[in-house]
Amino acid sequence: MVVSQEPEHEGTANITARGVLIGLLTPAIATVVAYPIAPTRPEIPIAVFMLAVVIAAVAGGLWSGLIAGILASTLRPLVVEDPQLTFRFDDVEDVATGVVFLSVALVVGLLVGQASEDRARASRREREARFLGTLSSTLHTREVPDRVLDEFAEVLMEPFGLSRVEIEASLDGTDVRAVATSNGVVVPGGPRTSVRLLAGDASIGTLVAERPPGGRPFSRDDQLLLETAARQATAALDRARLDARARNAQLDAETNQLRAAMFSSVTHDLRTPLASIKAGVTSLLDTAVQHDPAQERELLTTILEETDRLNRLVGNLLDLARIRAGALTPTRQQSAMDEIVEIVLARMRSRLAGHVVTADLPASLPDVWVDPVQLDQVLTNLLENAGRHAPEGSEIQVSVLWMHGAVQVRVADEGPGIPLDERDRVFEAFYRGSSIPDTSGSGLGLAIAKAVVVAHGGRIWIEEAPQGGCVVAFEIHGGDPHA
Amino acid sequence: MNRVLVVDDEPQIRRALRTSLEAHGYEVQTVGTGEEAVIGAAEMAPELMLLDLGLPDLDGTEVIRRVRGFTELPIIVLSVRDGQHDKVAALDAGADDYVTKPFAMEELLARARAAMRRAQPGEPTPPSMRYGGLEIDLGRRLVTLDGDPLRLTPTEYLLLEALATNPGKLLTHQWLLRKVWGQGYGTETTYLRTYVRALRKKLGDDAQAPQLIVTEPGVGYRWIAETSGAES
Repeated sequence: MVVSQEPEHEGTANITARGVLIGLLTPAIATVVAYPIAPTRPEIPIAVFMLAVVIAAVAGGLWSGLIAGILASTLRPLVVEDPQLTFRFDDVEDVATGVVFLSVALVVGLLVGQASEDRARASRREREARFLGTLSSTLHTREVPDRVLDEFAEVLMEPFGLSRVEIEASLDGTDVRAVATSNGVVVPGGPRTSVRLLAGDASIGTLVAERPPGGRPFSRDDQLLLETAARQATAALDRARLDARARNAQLDAETNQLRAAMFSSVTHDLRTPLASIKAGVTSLLDTAVQHDPAQERELLTTILEETDRLNRLVGNLLDLARIRAGALTPTRQQSAMDEIVEIVLARMRSRLAGHVVTADLPASLPDVWVDPVQLDQVLTNLLENAGRHAPEGSEIQVSVLWMHGAVQVRVADEGPGIPLDERDRVFEAFYRGSSIPDTSGSGLGLAIAKAVVVAHGGRIWIEEAPQGGCVVAFEIHGGDPHA
Repeated sequence: MNRVLVVDDEPQIRRALRTSLEAHGYEVQTVGTGEEAVIGAAEMAPELMLLDLGLPDLDGTEVIRRVRGFTELPIIVLSVRDGQHDKVAALDAGADDYVTKPFAMEELLARARAAMRRAQPGEPTPPSMRYGGLEIDLGRRLVTLDGDPLRLTPTEYLLLEALATNPGKLLTHQWLLRKVWGQGYGTETTYLRTYVRALRKKLGDDAQAPQLIVTEPGVGYRWIAETSGAES
């Protein structure tokens, strides 16, 4: 799209070679046409010459018309009154015709000039409007304030035929600079202009536009259009800043909400086992009550279980804090994933005694470079989840596969499964499945598992198990990081 | 009566340990700093030290190093830190074992008994040990499973010997590598892993329910089997 690159149209004041040519040619043609007719029909040539003047004025503008008028008034008497083509210019009639020709040329020329100027202006306005429209939609899709100026500088280049645009502005106290150049090569010394960027009445910066050397100087229209465009850019900038602020505010609100949920969840999770422990201990300490050995044992067992639960929760919270602090860096060593699985299964044996645990390990598995302790934790969390959600006596299957240079570990259970729309959310900290009434989990196991897997450059996801339960699978490319 | 020196800066832990240990018939001394621990180890001549790693004055590992300067008394580290690094550092400095806080008293007592038993003088390792169907004859360097001789490579045999002659003790990767492969080794955990795996297979030990060798991830291995009577 070109707004102002084309030369100015021929207005009333401009003489062009084309205009002169038309002014000379039309009366000449009229002479040729009128000459044979004149001897028989002397009234026709005046009409032919008049037509020539009008055509000249219409086609070539005012100056063409005037040239044609002068020429026509000179040639007409020759054609009509002196077929031998001797000059004679003393007749009152001839002078009157000349005045009429020139008047017609003047009127038609002015009218035509006006019309063509109007047309040119209209089409320029249309192009400008289209340019501003495009500019506006381009700028308003930019959400980051800094990008608005870059985009703005870029978008001015072609329509204005610029070689370089430089914008310097101060946004919320920070100086921002945007530069656009055509093909990155700028030959200095061309015409240049500058426009202020206004936010309301205050200047927030300047825009300097430069054309290549030898380019057209900036016209008033160019200047005005640049100013309009600059106003649009500052408006877009304002909007982007407000949007960014609104987004930040929303993010803050979400963070606060999450934090509130976290605190209430942590408070609940920490206080519940503490409450059981304290109740049990105070009951045992109470000298007024005689517990029989079975009751005593039950109270003590509860205390022990709740202590373990509290310990696991604190461990998870510490891991989460480590993740949040960015301190979860794997200490990678050459490890065998099947061995890690075996170690975890050996340790979890008693805790998963109510389930049928099977392991499907390949006969040979390439070593992977992972943090064995962290992956031990991932597997422990996945197995704890499976044990918690799958019914007593059901099967929990752990399998390890090697696929496309990555090790994949899958823990499948026969529990209730996880609804499709919750499969991403379960990896969020403190998220507990909606369909799970059990609150013995901390809602942290999967979040920690995910953080560890991601820290290893891997991915973790949920699948539906064929038998209806859920499969939590993760995959890690365990290549030697030093290789 | 066995004397135990408890080193912990938390009075509650000191009280809980004193009460429980005294109930099990131990004579208990408690101190709260590393300096006192080193002095106590020298003056009280305890048979066991329970040492918290997070002391206000000295780092626990430093205490171990100093104590090891004059006595081989068994040291069990109590640690709330769950980083493997601290445990390995303490073990490599000369600690015998570690227990992570919070711990079950029975677990601590079992570790304590095992550590003190190993430290008993005058009870040389029997030349032959039997664990169910497995028999290890150190004198003849012969290992049989259900009466059939096992064909072990020299390295496998050395590894088995290192493990079985330190029953119940947590042996770090570094310790095992130096013991079996030699002084120049210490970080080649892959060798160790490969040989332990091969050894487990030959001994018929199930890694998912081990009866002989337990892996302590990131730390080392422990021989857990109890002898079922030694042959003369």
